[in-house]
Amino acid sequence: MDWQGQKLAEKLMEILLMAFAVASFVVGYAIGSFQIMLLVYASGVLLTVLITVPNWSFFNRHSLNWLDPAEAGRHPKSQATVLPSSKKKTSKLK
Amino acid sequence: MHSFGFRANAVVTFAVTILAVVCAMASLSDNFNVPSPTAGVKVLNINWFQKQPNGNDEVSLTLNISADLQSLFTWNTKQVFVFVTAEYETPQNALNQVSLWDGIIPSKEHAQFSIHTTNKYRFVDQASHNNLRGKDFNLTLHWHIMPKTGKMSADKIVLTGYHLPNEYR
Repeated sequence: MDWQGQKLAEKLMEILLMAFAVASFVVGYAIGSFQIMLLVYASGVLLTVLITVPNWSFFNRHSLNWLDPAEAGRHPKSQATVLPSSKKKTSKLK
Repeated sequence: MHSFGFRANAVVTFAVTILAVVCAMASLSDNFNVPSPTAGVKVLNINWFQKQPNGNDEVSLTLNISADLQSLFTWNTKQVFVFVTAEYETPQNALNQVSLWDGIIPSKEHAQFSIHTTNKYRFVDQASHNNLRGKDFNLTLHWHIMPKTGKMSADKIVLTGYHLPNEYR
């Protein structure tokens, strides 16, 4: 999942859960059933998990474009300072 | 949010937090309910009234307990516990309470009832130097509301004007 995807996933999670909470409370109060409120909310949580937890392809539309190694090799001065930390960073980004 | 486990954790944590808020709102919504319960207790007969060998007075009553507690039930009510106490004053204590009968109301459909019963628990005054002859007493219908979420609450209806006979029988 890329950076934009992570941001989108978090937004989606917050909006979906809040919307389902409001909807379940309104439905439960209108019908007068606590159980139906919990069922509506539980199905909302399940749906949110299915949408935001797996690494769907629409979370990977903004892949990072790194410089290729040949380009980096042409600037040895910056390489010396960047390389130790950049090695760590690249291992983190999947 | 960079891995599967992190996202799963975030969704579950946020979902449970919101659930707590929803439950608090459900509990608050009970404040919009203004109950109007009614109750009546008739003493149909005093079966016997005597002094026990240890000196305590004991009474056996036949009661008719009727109540309409349907208005106590909201969507957030799990059950209501009701009990009837005899309440009277003695020189030592301003308030003596003796539980005579109790019951659990599991749903609104059962909240309107009329029960013909003798006292389920013994009506004994435990101060042997007292006696209950000619004593005026109240029969009070107490109830405790157990909500699905939120705070338990209690209330009562006091019914006055009962009195015990002047002689043992």
